[in-house]
Amino acid sequence: MATEILMPRQGNSVESCVILEWRKNEGDQVKTGEIVCEVETDKATFEIESPADGVLLKRFFEEGDDVPVLTVIAAVGEAGEDVSAMAPGGGASAEKKEAPAAAKTEKQEKKDETPASSAPAAGTVSAEGRAGVSPRARKTAAEKGVNLDGLTGSGPGGRVIERDVLAAEPSVSVSPAARAAMVAGMVAPARGSGIGGRILSADLAASAAPRTVAAEETREIPVKGVRKLIAERMHASLQNTAQLTMNSSADARELQAYRAQCKAAPEEMGMAGITLNDMVLFVVSRVLLRYPYMNAEMHPDKIVEYGSVNLGFAVDTERGLMVPVIRNADRLSLKAISAEAKRLGKACIDGNINPDELAGGTFTITNLGALGVESFTPVLNAPQVGILGVNGIELKPVQGKEGVEFVPHMGLSLTIDHRAVDGAPGARFLQAVAKELANFRLALAD
Amino acid sequence: MSSEFDLIVIGAGPGGYIAAERAGGAGKKVLLIEKEEMGGECTNWGCIPTKSLLAGAKHYVHARESERFGVTVSGAKYDLKTAMAWKQETIETLRAGIAFLMKKNKVEVVKGTAVLNPDRSVRVNDVLYSAKNIIIASGSSAAVPPIPGADGKNVVTNRGILSIEALPRKLAVIGGGVIGVEFASYFSAVGVEVTVIEMMDEILPLMDGDFARAMRKALKGINFATSAKVTKITPKGVDYEKAGKTESVEADLVLMSVGRRPNLEGFTEAGLDISRTGIRVDEKMRTNLPGVFAVGDVTGTSLLAHSASRMGEVAVNTILGKEDRMRYHAIPWAVYTLPEAAGCGLTEKEAADKGIPVKTATVQMRANGRFLAEHGKREPGMCKVLVHAKKNTLLGVHIMGATASEIIPAAAAMIEAELRTDEIREIIFPHPAVAEVLRDAVWEIE
Repeated sequence: MATEILMPRQGNSVESCVILEWRKNEGDQVKTGEIVCEVETDKATFEIESPADGVLLKRFFEEGDDVPVLTVIAAVGEAGEDVSAMAPGGGASAEKKEAPAAAKTEKQEKKDETPASSAPAAGTVSAEGRAGVSPRARKTAAEKGVNLDGLTGSGPGGRVIERDVLAAEPSVSVSPAARAAMVAGMVAPARGSGIGGRILSADLAASAAPRTVAAEETREIPVKGVRKLIAERMHASLQNTAQLTMNSSADARELQAYRAQCKAAPEEMGMAGITLNDMVLFVVSRVLLRYPYMNAEMHPDKIVEYGSVNLGFAVDTERGLMVPVIRNADRLSLKAISAEAKRLGKACIDGNINPDELAGGTFTITNLGALGVESFTPVLNAPQVGILGVNGIELKPVQGKEGVEFVPHMGLSLTIDHRAVDGAPGARFLQAVAKELANFRLALAD
Repeated sequence: MSSEFDLIVIGAGPGGYIAAERAGGAGKKVLLIEKEEMGGECTNWGCIPTKSLLAGAKHYVHARESERFGVTVSGAKYDLKTAMAWKQETIETLRAGIAFLMKKNKVEVVKGTAVLNPDRSVRVNDVLYSAKNIIIASGSSAAVPPIPGADGKNVVTNRGILSIEALPRKLAVIGGGVIGVEFASYFSAVGVEVTVIEMMDEILPLMDGDFARAMRKALKGINFATSAKVTKITPKGVDYEKAGKTESVEADLVLMSVGRRPNLEGFTEAGLDISRTGIRVDEKMRTNLPGVFAVGDVTGTSLLAHSASRMGEVAVNTILGKEDRMRYHAIPWAVYTLPEAAGCGLTEKEAADKGIPVKTATVQMRANGRFLAEHGKREPGMCKVLVHAKKNTLLGVHIMGATASEIIPAAAAMIEAELRTDEIREIIFPHPAVAEVLRDAVWEIE
């Protein structure tokens, strides 16, 4: 009896994962624990192992398909076994069953010719119960200027596949010149600048530069997975909120002194690893409690203020930006915050962060100080109403008792959602953060 | 007293009354404010009266030149008083038509000078009105440069010249733009000795260089002094400098037509962003003030009646939440001289300035069946098309010869639709029609 390979559940907040790459072809021998495919959630990638020894009899999904968790994605068993009953959606993949396991190159060609549509219905119905849109159909729709809304899908379970997009009239007209350019590889926006939104060739130039570089000199990187999510979230954040950034700086002498003290502390105290960033996390987690309007989320019809601080902090990883969350940071000591930040940061970099640890933040901190940035405009982690950017420490002339002194200052860049927070209250919060950083030892008493 | 409207439109010219008509037709409560006459400059002192007078001049010229068609007219005379009455009747019919349109679309009309207050209320005759949206369509006035003698009794602008009671013997026109050249053509046609003094080295700056030269030659009865700077106006005529020498032309009437200035009186205190040429607007005709729009000459962008009307529609559509934008690349223009000329899109010089590679073709009107039948082979006329050298899209059309103004909308549609030569060749034109020159010129493109 063949064994099912399931799309595993990756944390409570994950409903589906995208199959990034199949490592095994149909017909290949696999052993228990051997990697069958790589999948990706919103923020992290995982490898799925075979639960049994045998032949990979069937792959029910294509690379790029978004598959709900706990769905059967493949079957392992003895050669010749009938696994059609395992197919999600009840045999919808029967026709695929007939296809012999193809060599990688042939498979690739086939993928190019046919819509990524053979994913069965059960695998594509979204949480709202609507049939999905295949990634290929979505890409084609973007290229052809076809509106996906209201498009009837002819794929399994009503899934919109590429042929549906190709059959549909573009939602706006496309000039013949623009259409010719699109055939040559240019991408059309959803609406053009011509009469009634007609897409003109100039609109294409705006969305994709003509390819003048030889193909071998270019490298195409598909926007998917983590990069796609970052792109969508950042764009949505800037489009849907009213972002205002204000810059300030905090006297960093005490921070630097305390950091030096931690480094020099006896090893058994476990303080050596405390960083300037940890100190900022600590201060902000406390100050936020006094400025609850900054520890909040902006929703279409309400602003939600939180009584405790779930502090997100940006982590730079090979896959892209990730924002793990230190839960109840306001109740953790500096040492505990430091330890938790390290644990979460490592999990992000290693790619094994639990997706649940990437959700639920109430405020975010992003630190580019180590990269020599003096000032920047952090993009809100919407719907949060604030994000604090931490910059490098620079010498700043300050009027002292004996004339101008050069005092190290840490740059701070606060972006607020001006819909929820006005400039002055935002500035008061930033001022409080700067003051507490400047008097860090006193802040520790909090 | 205060009244609340959905939309207040200031100015009942072709920008304002079209906006009021469209908004009223969409069920909005609209107030239209006009300080002078319905129809604005176009109907009362611009397009319509000049075309009414030019119609008479054409009849007069045709009567005198009709012998070659087998028609002998003896004693053809031109009577200014009758021509002026004709002009007036046309104006009044159109004014009444506009008033009817306002009534039909339930637009309330108030006569008076409008002042836009900083709080966005509008004061007219000491009554305050307010509205969710305001469209400023106050137009422009003839600019009178500070030339010695410019305030003399013998100096008139486009308005004054339309109410003269007797034809001058000699007319000097300062400015070789569309207004100046049209009046010059009219007066020349009815027997007045006309000199046009233009500061630039060529007349009609909007015209393709070849066509401007050809037009100057075709306007046979008119003396042109180009590259000439007016230094003084005297009761006897105009003094000007040309190539370092002072010259003078005798004239008993001087027409000042050196340009237009935006009518900004009443709007300068409201906080509008105003440039040297007029109120700054975006492609949706929005000014820097929320809910305040500006259309037509007052924006200084395209000083043509039909541009103003389209801008009015764009503003109203934006107010109504419909996606629309103003496009300037395919606005046709026409010069109603004898012969008339019209154009749309780029000139060769503009294409070169923008670095756009073009192919051109020019055909002579005498090769056109209908033109030859109605005007003969000595009548000047030609049509030039500019096509993108690589994309083969139509970029510009220039026509000189009778009915040019009636052909040019077809070119505008083709340019707006970004049609290429291959598509234009498939369009069927009536035969015989002067418009066939457009198709013939496109066929000439390699």
